[in-house]
Amino acid sequence: MNVASRLPNSPAAVERPLQSDKPPFLGFGLGLRAQHYDEILGGNPPIDWFEVISENYMLPGGQPLRVLDRICERYPVVMHGVSLSIASTAPPNFEYLQGLKDLARRVEPKWISDHLCWTGVHGKNLHDLLPIPYTSEALDHVVSRVQLVQDFLGRAIVLENVSTYVQFNNSEMTEWEFLAELSRRSGCWLLFDINNVYVSAFNHGYDPMTFLNGIPADRVVQFHMAGHSHMGTHIIDTHDHPVCEDVWDLYVAAIKRFGRVSTMIERDDNIPPLDELVLEVNRTREIAKKVLPPLGKQAG
Amino acid sequence: MSDFARQQADFQRGILTGDDTVLAEILDSPREKRETLYGVYRYAYGSRLVEALRNDHELLHSYLGDETFDEMGHAYVKARPSEHPNLRWFSQGLPEFLRSAEPYCDHPVLADLAALEKALNDAFDAAEGELLDLTAMAAFAPEQWNDLTFRPHPSAARLDLSTNASAVWMALKNNETPPDAATLEEPARILVWRQDTTPMFRELPAEEAMMWDEAANGIPFGVLCEMLATYDDPDGAAARGAGYLHGWITSATLTAVSAD
Repeated sequence: MNVASRLPNSPAAVERPLQSDKPPFLGFGLGLRAQHYDEILGGNPPIDWFEVISENYMLPGGQPLRVLDRICERYPVVMHGVSLSIASTAPPNFEYLQGLKDLARRVEPKWISDHLCWTGVHGKNLHDLLPIPYTSEALDHVVSRVQLVQDFLGRAIVLENVSTYVQFNNSEMTEWEFLAELSRRSGCWLLFDINNVYVSAFNHGYDPMTFLNGIPADRVVQFHMAGHSHMGTHIIDTHDHPVCEDVWDLYVAAIKRFGRVSTMIERDDNIPPLDELVLEVNRTREIAKKVLPPLGKQAG
Repeated sequence: MSDFARQQADFQRGILTGDDTVLAEILDSPREKRETLYGVYRYAYGSRLVEALRNDHELLHSYLGDETFDEMGHAYVKARPSEHPNLRWFSQGLPEFLRSAEPYCDHPVLADLAALEKALNDAFDAAEGELLDLTAMAAFAPEQWNDLTFRPHPSAARLDLSTNASAVWMALKNNETPPDAATLEEPARILVWRQDTTPMFRELPAEEAMMWDEAANGIPFGVLCEMLATYDDPDGAAARGAGYLHGWITSATLTAVSAD
């Protein structure tokens, strides 16, 4: 018997889009940050759900995990990572993936997300969300990695578009075409970061609406809303300011295209008191209420 | 190597070493040159990692001030690029770097201060463990005590400091002017642990530090008392050993006792 004939085809050779139920609509949430632990646990802020940075809780023990356990008892939680490095050409870090899986077992998140980017090769980690060329070679590579990660975790993952500052001269397609194909071929869901679309569109000189309209509406399960720093000739995705009016306008357009999508405010630096962020969360809720028909009357 | 892999290697090398090879594959934007746009990644790399060092070593940062700390931080980033996916562990090698790299190794208080902060950070998110309480000790008959062995709580760690870094730490923590750095005649023997969620430390007398170290190695209580007898009054050794043990249990540094 030819042993090779009994082996499954290699992941790269077979398209296996994971068929999974679309994650539920969670409402209007916030990124959990340590500065707000006491206020959240001591009060009852009007926040529907929390997104936690996975790596902040991939720890042996102590206060962060104890707080996380208490948050999970009271709110729906999703896990959002920064180190999956799904587009890296280096071998996957299975120790990291196991840590992610262990944390998911504890948190029971509604979904697990990370970014369409890479963070390092050759054993190094640059701790940044680095850009990729939009080529068929890169697409094949990322599709196979997403399939591997989904098989390892036993669930579909959610991938986010990142803010980019450079474009490569060998790109063969647009970012939105790449994302749409990635989602179609791998079965992953999409986290549509509205601020990142705005930042990348400004940096590369295209219309953010073109990006928005190029994303398949049925694949988007989450919105990120965040602030940035405008440098005049380019914008840097710093998450250290309130959401700007242009991004709020884009949010309205996104709701019109994608419908009812779990939305959250993401703030990572210059973190204000919780009340200030709750106001932004309330604004996401109010805009959605105005733009969308009431639940039960929505088509489909 | 595929084109994609080669391009990633070039992109990374450009950030880590300043090599400009990858610029040939990057486009100018409508408003800005590619050098500036790629420079966003170069700048972010160093500043993000130095910021992580600042967060993990708040008091070393206070001690050195912004300029010197950042200069030291960038030297560390260059010498020891991150190899772990979690930024939490990036600063782990800082004490050793400060102990071995010029000019910082000429000021041993810096490595000691970093080592103390690292130990406290490690205690903060160390694994959970049961806490041994005094009632568990009461369950053992007097004739069993010689055979008792102890297991430290996962958050507990010992370190020896050759300088007065603990006094410097204390002053900085209280927003006071730190004492002049000084090398001690005998190392300060420090025990670090987590009480509930708060990392703590205290300096141990020499014989208590010896007893802790040996207890952590699994030496039974009876032998520990014999060892204590070589440090001070032999007749009081068992009482001193019991006293130290009582202190460890009430301050939540032990997780288990066994009479096997």
